[in-house]
Amino acid sequence: MEAIWLYQFRLIVIGDSTVGKSCLIRRFTEGRFAQVSDPTVGVDFFSRLVEIEPGKRIKLQIWDTAGQERFRSITRAYYRNSVGGLLLFDITNRRSFQNVHEWLEETKVHVQPYQIVFVLVGHKCDLDTQRQVTRHEAEKLAAAYGMKYIETSARDAINVEKAFTDLTRDIYELVKRGDITIQEGWEGVKSGFVPNVVHSSEEVVKSERRCLC
Amino acid sequence: MSDKDDTETPVVTEATSTLEDGNCELSENSEFVDQSAKPENKSELAAITRKRPESKPSSDLETSEVLPVEASQAVGKETVSKDVPQTGWGYWGSWGKSLLSSASATVATVGQGISNVIEKAETSLGIPSPSEISTEVQYAAGETNANENANSSSLIGPFGVFSTISTAVQTTGKSVISGGLDALEFIGKKTMDVIAEGDPGFKRTKGLMNRNSTLSQVLREAKEKEELWTSNEVTLETDKKTHYGLLFDEFQGLSHLEALEMLSRESEIKVKSILNSLSGEELQTLKLELEQLKEAFSLAEFCEEEEEEKKDDEDFTKEITELFSQLHVSSKPEKLTKARNTAYEWISTSLAKPSEEKEDGEKQLETEKIEQISKNSIEDIHAFAIRSLAELTACSIELFHKTAALVLHGQKQEVTAIERSRTLSQMTIVLCKELSSLSKEFTTCLTTAGVKEKADILNPLITAVFLEASNSASYIQDAFQLLLPVLEISLIENKTELPEA
Repeated sequence: MEAIWLYQFRLIVIGDSTVGKSCLIRRFTEGRFAQVSDPTVGVDFFSRLVEIEPGKRIKLQIWDTAGQERFRSITRAYYRNSVGGLLLFDITNRRSFQNVHEWLEETKVHVQPYQIVFVLVGHKCDLDTQRQVTRHEAEKLAAAYGMKYIETSARDAINVEKAFTDLTRDIYELVKRGDITIQEGWEGVKSGFVPNVVHSSEEVVKSERRCLC
Repeated sequence: MSDKDDTETPVVTEATSTLEDGNCELSENSEFVDQSAKPENKSELAAITRKRPESKPSSDLETSEVLPVEASQAVGKETVSKDVPQTGWGYWGSWGKSLLSSASATVATVGQGISNVIEKAETSLGIPSPSEISTEVQYAAGETNANENANSSSLIGPFGVFSTISTAVQTTGKSVISGGLDALEFIGKKTMDVIAEGDPGFKRTKGLMNRNSTLSQVLREAKEKEELWTSNEVTLETDKKTHYGLLFDEFQGLSHLEALEMLSRESEIKVKSILNSLSGEELQTLKLELEQLKEAFSLAEFCEEEEEEKKDDEDFTKEITELFSQLHVSSKPEKLTKARNTAYEWISTSLAKPSEEKEDGEKQLETEKIEQISKNSIEDIHAFAIRSLAELTACSIELFHKTAALVLHGQKQEVTAIERSRTLSQMTIVLCKELSSLSKEFTTCLTTAGVKEKADILNPLITAVFLEASNSASYIQDAFQLLLPVLEISLIENKTELPEA
């Protein structure tokens, strides 16, 4: 892994238990489909570099959270220091889609005073025959919350790369425009050690952004 | 590898010259100590690492002039002068020099914090006298009979990590080395003490339970400096391979450590508020029980078992797996044991002797294979050793983190907090011993592969491996201490739930 990167973004991956969060992340960071048998305990950590423009690399620190309710008090602590998030549901599990709303409410409470740029991810799209959630309704829900929607499959490596890089690019644009700024005591975005850094820690506390998620 | 050397020579010279500049700065403005010390030391180490034996001695001279000064700044002048013959560095001087230089290099590399704190240690504690240092070391080694002459037995570090070096001591300048190592040990110990000074109760256990400066902060700073350095210099990938801090982070050790600290802190707050809400007999009983728990965390067995039996390969995996099942948490140590076994496989391939494998029929093939193996230069071995240590440590800390999460939020188990504490303490010992024996294996590799190398090329690498192993063991023990509040809460919760059940 190269040490040179422009920014470091912390992304959180949330969603119901068994929707495939860990599998998606491992496909993205390890390039293979790992049949994860054990549910995630608390949080797990992954990282990868993404090149968003030639020569411009962003380091992603990805927080894989446990979907199980009993670990909720642990995972909650991680919202605050995330700049972006992937909110997963399983397209073959209607319940996990219905819970998307709850997940968003939960993050809203715990991310204060910051905000997270979310993307809604319909996972396991390789299992189209067992689909319980249509693309249309998922897109509608995402739009209602100002999120993008993307369907992925860790098993068949569909859109995995795109889901992460699109989100990264969106955040990068916001950082470039100054809508998201680097702040002391907030780990969501950190600048790398490349000379042309745009940030100043003196900058005003993040301007109230309209809902970017 | 060797063809690179030519192209890198300019870098080496540059590094040496900046080293001088940096050193002036160092004495002028102590605030710059760590920023400047880091890159210099690193490049110095790199220079030593890549230097071929036949390279010009001029740079050698320069460094030997500069480094002792620097080292003594950090360690205290008396330390150096006490053990180093006043007649000059001479031949053995190169041992001391390389030790000291890699000492400061490692200090900067590993615990960024350590170099940070040196300053603090100097100002807040004063530079210690040699006798203080040796007391410190004796204390650390759990030895009462060690004397100032530093015979090889007094060199045994807290976990026996340095015990193998005693063999080397006999063949080289005994006192010089011991001076170097004592000093290193001292730096480590004192640093921890300074960090933990806000909490006298933990001083004995050496835990980094201080509220202001956590272990992960210390490590993170170090890593960031390493990153800064590696990106400032347009470095080769190979350079990064030996940065313990960067590798530790790459294996997510830092994140797991932070997560563990978070759980520990939360639990600590809970414990305090519960204790505050209790009074009278109830409070006394609970305090007594918590005291027992604390005892299980004292790692007393460490000193008793300095002797290390040669173990089978399978033993570690079996032992750790067994200990884990005793914990009754659903987490499994497979990642750790896999990392450990990979390291041992690599070592055994690296150590494979040509004669052992040769079969006439496959001579050609075998010879090729052997050539492949012997291509593992000492730099490769060193890099792999540091990498393995970082990975094993990261895995260990991940396991502690997972254990904490499961103790706090897992299903209820038929195992008491005290039982779990004892198992965890046992596990910490096993892990630290493993790091110790792994580092010995790696240095054996280094010695075998580097027979033809000059001592001042080989020795810093060996020292670095031992140091990182020792540091790794410290990190693991500190992480273990972070589990105490978690188990305290678990104990309290079990207690309060029992009557209801």
